[in-house]
Amino acid sequence: MAAETGPSIDPIHQFSIHPVVPISIAGQDFSLTNSGLFMLLAVALSCLIAAIAARGDSGVPGRLQAMGEMSYEFIAGMVRSAAGEAGMRFFPFVFSIFFFILLCNLLGFIPYSFTVTSQIVITAALALLVFLTVVIIGISEHGVGFFKLFVPSGVPIYILPLVVAIEVISFLSRPLSHSVRLFANMLAGHITLYVFGAFVVMLLGAGAAVKALAVLPFAMTVGLEALELLVAFLQAYVFAMLTCMYLNDALHPSGH
Amino acid sequence: MPYQGDDEDAKLRARLSKLSGDLKGRTAPHAAAPESSAPRADGMGSAMAMGMRAGSEFVAAIIVGTGIGWVIDRALGTNPAFLIVFFMLGVAAGVWNVIRATSPKGAPANRNSPLSRPEPPDKDVRRSPPGAGRDVLHSKRGASDGATQTPGGDDDDED
Repeated sequence: MAAETGPSIDPIHQFSIHPVVPISIAGQDFSLTNSGLFMLLAVALSCLIAAIAARGDSGVPGRLQAMGEMSYEFIAGMVRSAAGEAGMRFFPFVFSIFFFILLCNLLGFIPYSFTVTSQIVITAALALLVFLTVVIIGISEHGVGFFKLFVPSGVPIYILPLVVAIEVISFLSRPLSHSVRLFANMLAGHITLYVFGAFVVMLLGAGAAVKALAVLPFAMTVGLEALELLVAFLQAYVFAMLTCMYLNDALHPSGH
Repeated sequence: MPYQGDDEDAKLRARLSKLSGDLKGRTAPHAAAPESSAPRADGMGSAMAMGMRAGSEFVAAIIVGTGIGWVIDRALGTNPAFLIVFFMLGVAAGVWNVIRATSPKGAPANRNSPLSRPEPPDKDVRRSPPGAGRDVLHSKRGASDGATQTPGGDDDDED
C-alpha cells in the first residue's frame, strides 16, 4: 500500500501476484505466490487464535478466551437467526468462512502485504462453494422439493412461468453478487487508499508552497483507513450473513 | 468449543440465557445494552452494507439474465430475441432481489432500516380506516403512541 515516489501513480501494482517460493512439478507451475502465502497466514493465524482461545483451562476467561467466546456467540446468533436451529449444523462452515475472510481483509491493512480478498478468483471460489453447498444440501435433503424454492405459493397459474423464470435468474445471480461485493469493496478501498497516499507523496515532492497542502490528502487517508477497517469487518459479516440466508433456503426451500 | 450433542447444547444454551438474563438485570440501570445474540453494526455501517448489497444484487441479476439470453441466442442463432427477453427478466429479477433484500425476513441487520419496515398483512386490515381505526386501536390496546407507530414489532420474528 506504500506510495512510490515515482512520477506516475500505479494503484494496481499492489494487486499483482508473483511467486514467493517457485515450485515446478512436471512442468506445471505450482509456485507458492504472495496470494497463497497470505491465505496460509490467515488460516494459521485463525487456527492459532482459536486454539489459544479454546484452551479454557482457567475458570476466569482471559482476554483472548473472552474474544473467542464472543465471536462464537456472534456467529452462533447469526446462524440461529438466519437459518434457524437446523442451521447450526453449518456453524463450523460459517465460522470458518467468516474468520478466513475477516483475517484476509485485516491482513491486507499491513503495509506491503497482499489483500487476498481483492482477487475475484478467491471470492468467486468462496461464493461458488456456498452456492454448490446450498444446491447439493437442498437436493439431498428435499429431492425435487428443493425446486419449490422457485415456485412461490399463491401465484396465479398464468403468471407462474414468468415468476419462475425471474426466481431462477435471481437464484443464479447469487454467486455473482456474493463474490463481486466482497471483491469490489476490497479492491476499491485499497485503490482509493493508494491514490490518496500517493497524493501526499507527490505534494511533498512538489515546491515548498504546495507542501502544506499535503495535510489535506493525509487527513483523507486517515479517515479512509478507518472507513476501510469498518468495511473489512462489515464485508466479512455480510458474506457470512448471506451464507446463512442461502443455507436457510437449502434447509427450508418452501419457507418463503 | 466443540459442537456436542443436541441435548447438551440445549442445556448449555438454557443456562447461558439464564445467566445473560441475570447479567442484563444487573447492568440495566447503567445502559440499555444491545442484546448480544443479534449483532448489529452502527447506523452508518449497516446502512452502507444494505446499500451495497442492494446495488450489487440488482446489477448481478441483470448481468446473469443478459448472459443467459446471450447464450441461448448463440445456441439457437436467433440473435437479439432472447437477449432482449432475458435482459428484461434480469431487470425484474434485480428489482425482486432488492425488494427481498430490503424486506425484513431473515436479516436482523436490516431490521432498523426505514425501507424494511414490515407491512404485516393482518395489520393492514386494521389500519385501513385512517381516522377511526386509530381510536379503536388506542382504546383497545390502551397503548401510547409508541406502540402504534411500530406495528408488528413483535410478530415478525423468524419462522
